[in-house]
Amino acid sequence: MEMKLNKSLFSLLSVPLLLAGCGTGGTESGTSDEGAESSVEGGVVKLDFFNQKPEITAQLEELAQMYEEQSDGQTQITITTVGSGEGSAGLQARFSSGDEPAMMMLGGLPEVERYSDSLLDVTDLEVSDTIIDGMLEGGTIDGVPLGVPLNIEGFGWMYNREIFEEAGVDPESIQNYDDFAAAVETLDSQKEALGIDAVFGFSGGENYIANQFSANFTSPEFNDSIIESYEATELNWEYGDQMKKYTDLFNEHNVQPILTVDYSRSVEELFVNDRVAMVHQGIWIVPTLNDIDPEFAQEKLGLLPVYGENDTEGKIIAGAPFYIGVNKNLDEAIVEESKNFLDWMYLSDEGREMIVGDLAFVPAQEGYEPSDISDPVSSELYQALLDGETGAMTHKQYPDGWFQQVLYPEYQKYLTGDQSWEDFENNTAEAFKEMR
Amino acid sequence: MSLMQGKHNTAYYWAFVLPSVLAVSVIILIPLILGIGTSLTDSDGYTSSFIGLQNYLRLMKDTQFLNSLWFTLRFSFVAVILVNAIGLGLALLVTQKLGKVSTLFRTIFFMPNLIGGIILGFIWQFIFVRAFEGIATATGISFFSAWLSDSSTGFWGMIIVFLWQMSGYIMIIYISFLANIPKELIEAGFMDGASDWKAFWHIKFPMLAPAFTISLFLTLANAFKIYDVNLALTNGAPYGSTEMVAMNIYNTAFYQYEQGYAQSKAIIFLLLIAAISLTQILITRRKEVDL
Repeated sequence: MEMKLNKSLFSLLSVPLLLAGCGTGGTESGTSDEGAESSVEGGVVKLDFFNQKPEITAQLEELAQMYEEQSDGQTQITITTVGSGEGSAGLQARFSSGDEPAMMMLGGLPEVERYSDSLLDVTDLEVSDTIIDGMLEGGTIDGVPLGVPLNIEGFGWMYNREIFEEAGVDPESIQNYDDFAAAVETLDSQKEALGIDAVFGFSGGENYIANQFSANFTSPEFNDSIIESYEATELNWEYGDQMKKYTDLFNEHNVQPILTVDYSRSVEELFVNDRVAMVHQGIWIVPTLNDIDPEFAQEKLGLLPVYGENDTEGKIIAGAPFYIGVNKNLDEAIVEESKNFLDWMYLSDEGREMIVGDLAFVPAQEGYEPSDISDPVSSELYQALLDGETGAMTHKQYPDGWFQQVLYPEYQKYLTGDQSWEDFENNTAEAFKEMR
Repeated sequence: MSLMQGKHNTAYYWAFVLPSVLAVSVIILIPLILGIGTSLTDSDGYTSSFIGLQNYLRLMKDTQFLNSLWFTLRFSFVAVILVNAIGLGLALLVTQKLGKVSTLFRTIFFMPNLIGGIILGFIWQFIFVRAFEGIATATGISFFSAWLSDSSTGFWGMIIVFLWQMSGYIMIIYISFLANIPKELIEAGFMDGASDWKAFWHIKFPMLAPAFTISLFLTLANAFKIYDVNLALTNGAPYGSTEMVAMNIYNTAFYQYEQGYAQSKAIIFLLLIAAISLTQILITRRKEVDL
C-alpha cells in the first residue's frame, strides 16, 4: 500500500511538471484586458488599442473615456497595455492568435514592416497633414506612411542645473567635447563639497540605455536618417572613436559597479536626489521626476547634447519612439472609427490639451507654441526639432534582437574591461551584418 | 504499474483516462509535433519555408546557446545537490521532538516557495546589489561588494535564490517520507547499539530512496527550465553570461523573431532534459527498497 501511494503521488506531482516543461513561458508585464477584441455589436463599435507604454496607460484610458462619452456610447475603446520590452512580443502574440487590435503602437521600422500587410496608409488621416517635416519617415515603408508618430522624445545627457551651478560650471558655456570633459573633471574634483556619489549615474544594467546611447554615434554614420539606417546592411562604427572616448569618460566617473546600476536607481534614486550630476536619459523621465519632486524638472533639469560626429557638433537624438498604426483588415466601421479617434485625439481641443497637459508629450505636430509645452527641457527639444537640429533615432532600426543579444552584452564586456574596444566594434559589426 | 494490470472494465478505464489523454494531447503532444515541424523551417512567426536540418546544424556553432547550455548544466548540477542536501537537513531538523515549534519552523522554511519567482528575483536583486553593498561599505569585507556584476557572483546569486525558493518545498517531501519510516525499525536499530548517525545512514537513508526519486526529479526539472528568477534577478547580465537555456530560447523567438531556430533549440533542450530525467529516475528507482 505504501509503495502504491508513493507511485501515485509521484505521477500526480509529475503531471504539472511535464505540462509546464514543454512551454517556454513568456511573461507579460503591464496590464492587459482579457478578451479585448475589436468588434461591431448592435451598432456599438468596439475598438482595441494596443499600447506599449505602460506609463501613459491612465491618460490613454482617460482619452478613450472622453471619446466614448461624446460618441453617446456608440464607440467603446479598450486600451491593452503590454510594455517594458515585452510589447512587441505581446503584439506578435495578438496577431498570431488572430485577435488583432484595431490600433497599435509600433516601435520603429522593423516592427512597422512586420505588420505592413495589415496597416492602413495614414495619408487618409487628417492628422498626417500636421506632422513636423520628416517625422513620418520612421513609419514609412516603400514610400507609404503606415503610422502616425505618437509623440517626440529626445535624449542626451540630462543634468542637474543646481549641481552644475554650485560647482561653478555654466552649462551654456559647454560648446564642444573638451568643454564637456573639463566640466566633468571640475565636478569630479568637488564631489565631496557637492555631496554627490559620482558625476555620472549611467545605468549599465539596462540594455535599452546602452542602445539609446549608441544612437549618438550611429546617427551620423547613417546621415541622421531613419530610412538609411533601416536599409543599412552593415554598421562600421565610423564614429566609434567618439563613443569610446565618451564611454571611458563616464565609466571613470560613474557610480560603480556600473553594471548593477539600473534605471530606477539611476533616475529615481541618484539623479532626482542630487546624488549624481548627469545621467544619459530622455525626456520621458519628466513625469517620473514630477511625481517624486515637482520642482525638479522645472528648476533643475537640463539637457546637454552629445558630440557624436566630432568634437564640436553636438546633437540631441530625437524622434518618434512609437508610431500608431491602424489595422486595415478589420471591419470597415472599425477602421473608420479608429481613424476618427486618432484625428480627434490629435486635432480636437480636448485632445490637444491632453497631449501637452497630462501626457506631457512633445507633440510630433506643428502648430504648438514651444511655451505651451510642459517643462523647459521639452520645450527646448520642440524648438530644436522645428529648427532641424537633432539626430535620428537610428537605434530603433537595428536588426531584430541585435541590441539585446549583441550590442548590450558586448558593451558590458567593454565596461568591465573584459574586452578591448576593437573587439567590441568587430563583434558587434559582424553580428549586425549577419542578423540583417 | 500494478494498478493497470487488473482486468478492469475497459469502458470505465477509458472514461477516467480520456480527459487526461485529451489534455495531454492538446497541450503537449500536438504542440510538440507542430514544434518539431516549425524547427525545420525558418519561421519568423508569419512566414516560413522548409529548410531541413539547417537550424540544428546552426545551433551546434551558436556559442551563446552552447554557453547557456553549459551554464544551465553547471547550475542544475550544483543546485540539485545543494537543494536536496539542505532540504533533507531541514527535514531532519524539524522532525526532531520539538513540539509545536517544529510546525512553526516547517512553515517558515516552506514560505519562500509561496512567493513567485519574479518577486523573489527582484527582492534578491535588491539584497545582492544594495544590502550586500551596504554590508561591504560598513564592514570593508570585499566578499560582499559588486554582487551580480560579474559572472561568478551571477552564478552563485542564482544558486542562492533557487536554494532559498526550493529547499522548503523539498523539505516537505522528505518530512512525509521520514514520517512513514516505521518506528520499530529505528528502535530495533538502537537496541542493537546503533548510534544516531548509524541509524540515519543505515536505516533512514535507504528507506528514503523513493523520496530521492521524487525530489531529484522535481529539482532537476525545475533547475533546468528556470526562467522567472533568471529574468528578474540577472536577465542574463553581465554580458549574457548568466543566460539560461529557457531565456536564450525566449530571446531568440521574441527578440530576434527567429521562431524556427528557437523551436529547434527547444527540441534539443527537451531531448536533453528527458534523457537526464529518465536516467535519473531509472537509477534512483533501482535503489528503492520494498518493505
